[in-house]
Amino acid sequence: MKKNNFKRLELALYYVVVFFILREWLVPIMELTGTGYTSLILLFIAINLVLNLFKVHYSISWVIKLVYMSWFIVFVYSGQSILSVDGFLFLLDIFKTNSAIIIQSDWVHVTDPFRTLLFFILIWMLIYLIHHWITVRMTIFYFIVLTVFFIATLDTFTEYDGSNAIIKIVLLGLMMTSILFIKRLLSQSNVHIAWFKYIKLVMPIVFLIGLSGIVAILLPKSPPQWPDPVPFIKSAAGQGEEIDNRDGVSKVGYGENDSRLGGSFIADDTVVFLAQAETKQYWRVETKDIYTSKGWEKSDYFVGTASVYLPNEPIYHSLPVGPEEETQSASIQVLYPFEFIIQPYGLKSIEVDGTADGSIELHMDDNSEKLIPKVNNSTITLDNYLVQYSKPVYLYSELKNPTEEMNPFIQERYLQLPETLPSRVRDLAEEIVAGEETPYDKARAIEMYFRQNGFRYSTDNVAVPAEDQDYVDQFLFETKIGYCDNFSTSMVVLLRSIGIPARWVKGFAGGDVINTDGAVKEFQVTNNDAHSWVEAYIPNVGWINFEPTIGFNNTRTINYDVQTNAYQQEELTVDEETEPDETVEEEEEEQQKTTEKNNILSTFVDFIKEHKVVLIFVFIVLVLFAFSLYKLRRKWLPKVYVRMNKQKQFSEASFEAMYLQLLKILELKGFKRLEGQTLQSFAAEVDAYYSTKHMSNITKAYEQFIYAKDLREVDFDEMKESWEYLINQTTS
Amino acid sequence: MHKQIEGIIENIEKVMIGKREVAELSVVALLSGGHVLLEDVPGVGKTMMVRALAKSVSAEFKRIQFTPDLLPSDVLGVSIYNPKTLQFEFRPGPIVGNIILADEINRTSPKTQSALLESMEESSVTVDGETLQIPKPFFVMATQNPIEYEGTYPLPEAQLDRFLLKIKMGYPTAQEEIEVLRRAEKTEPITQLSPVISIEELIELQEEVLNVYVDDSIKSYIVQLARATRKVSEIYLGVSPRASIALMKACQAYAKMKDRDFVKPDDVQYLAPYVFGHRIILKPEARYEGVTVEGIVDRILSNAVIPIKRYAEK
Repeated sequence: MKKNNFKRLELALYYVVVFFILREWLVPIMELTGTGYTSLILLFIAINLVLNLFKVHYSISWVIKLVYMSWFIVFVYSGQSILSVDGFLFLLDIFKTNSAIIIQSDWVHVTDPFRTLLFFILIWMLIYLIHHWITVRMTIFYFIVLTVFFIATLDTFTEYDGSNAIIKIVLLGLMMTSILFIKRLLSQSNVHIAWFKYIKLVMPIVFLIGLSGIVAILLPKSPPQWPDPVPFIKSAAGQGEEIDNRDGVSKVGYGENDSRLGGSFIADDTVVFLAQAETKQYWRVETKDIYTSKGWEKSDYFVGTASVYLPNEPIYHSLPVGPEEETQSASIQVLYPFEFIIQPYGLKSIEVDGTADGSIELHMDDNSEKLIPKVNNSTITLDNYLVQYSKPVYLYSELKNPTEEMNPFIQERYLQLPETLPSRVRDLAEEIVAGEETPYDKARAIEMYFRQNGFRYSTDNVAVPAEDQDYVDQFLFETKIGYCDNFSTSMVVLLRSIGIPARWVKGFAGGDVINTDGAVKEFQVTNNDAHSWVEAYIPNVGWINFEPTIGFNNTRTINYDVQTNAYQQEELTVDEETEPDETVEEEEEEQQKTTEKNNILSTFVDFIKEHKVVLIFVFIVLVLFAFSLYKLRRKWLPKVYVRMNKQKQFSEASFEAMYLQLLKILELKGFKRLEGQTLQSFAAEVDAYYSTKHMSNITKAYEQFIYAKDLREVDFDEMKESWEYLINQTTS
Repeated sequence: MHKQIEGIIENIEKVMIGKREVAELSVVALLSGGHVLLEDVPGVGKTMMVRALAKSVSAEFKRIQFTPDLLPSDVLGVSIYNPKTLQFEFRPGPIVGNIILADEINRTSPKTQSALLESMEESSVTVDGETLQIPKPFFVMATQNPIEYEGTYPLPEAQLDRFLLKIKMGYPTAQEEIEVLRRAEKTEPITQLSPVISIEELIELQEEVLNVYVDDSIKSYIVQLARATRKVSEIYLGVSPRASIALMKACQAYAKMKDRDFVKPDDVQYLAPYVFGHRIILKPEARYEGVTVEGIVDRILSNAVIPIKRYAEK
């Protein structure tokens, strides 16, 4: 009797610990989901534990738990008493509606009361599992590890602060694990000791864990030793944050903050949108006009104004639009939570899929020409829309003969340069454009400058300007290594320094063709395609785009009306090798094809380089997986063997293989037969452990089989039975 | 356990208390036609053992007490001139018998020792050019005092090789010794023994032993053990192929005793120390270091790979 009481006391102690650990699970869930009634749910846990503790017959314990659950649901969701007719009807109603919903597999519409019910059942199951772990398996280690992992994850990715919880869990968990370990040792070796001796055994552990815990808490802790991996994981999981970390390596993508440019990038293949259009083109998002010598800011030239357009309404912007008959449409499918519209050159209007969204308004920021979709003045993300556009066509004659006077407002706004800009930048600009007459030719000269004078495109090892250094100056004269931001910013600054108004444009490059359906191609645009380029203002003509970055091509359509006099339209690329009167796009594709063929190896190397982190991660995961498979082989390998041999019949042919396999499984189980140990003595050991005779029986027959080559008297059915018995023993 | 053999052993056990293992091993040697060397201090029952065995099989029992002045002719027999027939007549010595107790064999000179051992190997006696076949069954049990005792001539290696098994008797436990006293209190137990098996039956059993199957895998295991003794660094001289044969024969007999018609590695492991023990000669330096033959045989046994698959020719 006394012994029983002691056992119950012991179990009660475990349950108290378990209760506190479960509480650490529950609290963050409640906190993060904003669920109330934590104490009532804790009470449910306590009831469960107490019922388990006193081994209440399950018919009674089920009734108690079900009644509590029903009471909780009725009390919380209707405020009525469960005993009242209304309360009962409420409960009935929940079951009726939800069973219908579940039959239809319409999981989204399952009501909260029913979810609560499921949550209770989950707790119930969890407690049963813990009960099993404690009383039968006598190990709680996995549960503790899982709890630590759970709290660590919540702490890392949510606002929940688990620093206190983790201490409690580790201390309680370690104590629990070690006490259960003692218990397991005692029960395995069939030792029963008096309760005071047990206490004597447990006390040092509790004391040690407590002491080391206190020491650990009090010790000073060093700051994190490696960079926070959370942003990377988040962005890999599709929750990217804006890039504003310019000190180290950033990840490529569309960011809002450009006030400090520079630094290296890691490639990122996340697809951000798909566009179905006839031609490859740049996608514009916004422009910026104030150069700060470190990066770009948006000016407040138009204070607080935004032009509001409805879908399908013509949209006005500063860029020229092509002829009406050339109007095309592109359908955009956005896969990333962008809060802006992606605009092609020559934008006319936006068509939003789905007629129900009549309340959508498109707000255009007049300063940056960023187009933001809003409903009731709150920004939304549009997943699908159609853009109508007609590519602007520039007349060569007008480009060459600027007659119009420069607009003073444009001059005021787009010739801004920081006072600290070193004079050698201006001198360089003068030098580049020497001999060029028209603004267009000057701009062309600057655009081409980067391709000839030792500049290199790279996303690695890109410098960040020092405190007293100018971003453009550093790139033009010192590093000459950079990516689109370096080239485009430098070109804008060079243009401005010789009096040509220019602005910095952000958006996406054309992307890759992944599908072709007749004339329409589907372009896949990834974070890697995030890009910046230049728009310059040419009198008479207006804004025209330039692409200074090495390795990028942007088409602008120029009508060479001077040379041919006919209305012949050709496209000019900024690529200098390209002849103006050839069909550029075709050649471009051809070029791409040949380079692709030539560079399969280098693409492969690039692929490996680009995805180094991911590949290493995958490799580590694979290695860990393989290692744990190997470590846990005694758990799964016997099952594989059994599965393999379940169908096999015992016969003379298979006997040897089956027996040897049995030896292998036993070895995995810990029965290692030394090479010098005879099968008979080994079998005796195994039989002694499992207190059977099966191993000796099967071994006797096997010995006869190999040492006497005689199987006449062997009963194979009996052998199979013994074999299966032993396998079951080892795998159970 | 084979019934007839069990009978012999039980009979011996009536006299020899707590010496079942020695009895079993002696019977193994008897069945496989080999001879036994019993080594231990005087008075632990070596002679009683042999006498009990001889009585159990109703065989002719002879005893030769070896002394330093014993001559070969005292063992083998001698030709005496018979004045009546005017011819030399051969008088067989005590060696011509079924079960011979060669007591304290290491007390006699090597000359006499070799005379005995030659006849053990050949199962015949040759005196003055006349060869006399010794009738079957012929079983010599020699006893010797541990070599370290004063006044002994250690047996040469070649001679030792002729014994199938070397068995140590060992002291009885206290309980066993009390039982020994109890039985010896009133009567001489050995006089109570009656034969349980006839000579003919014994010879038949010996022939049956030859039919016990020894698989090639077992043969290879025996060879593996024998070869291992020749490679151990502490051993001056490993065992000969004759030892391998002896081990196999002993195993056959042992298997027969266990009423089994094939040999198992367990038999080999059990008998190997008794068969190899007296055939291995340690290097002196190893002996000084406290290495024992038993230890080495144990080591060889635990390192050798037991065949657990059907034997396949390589």
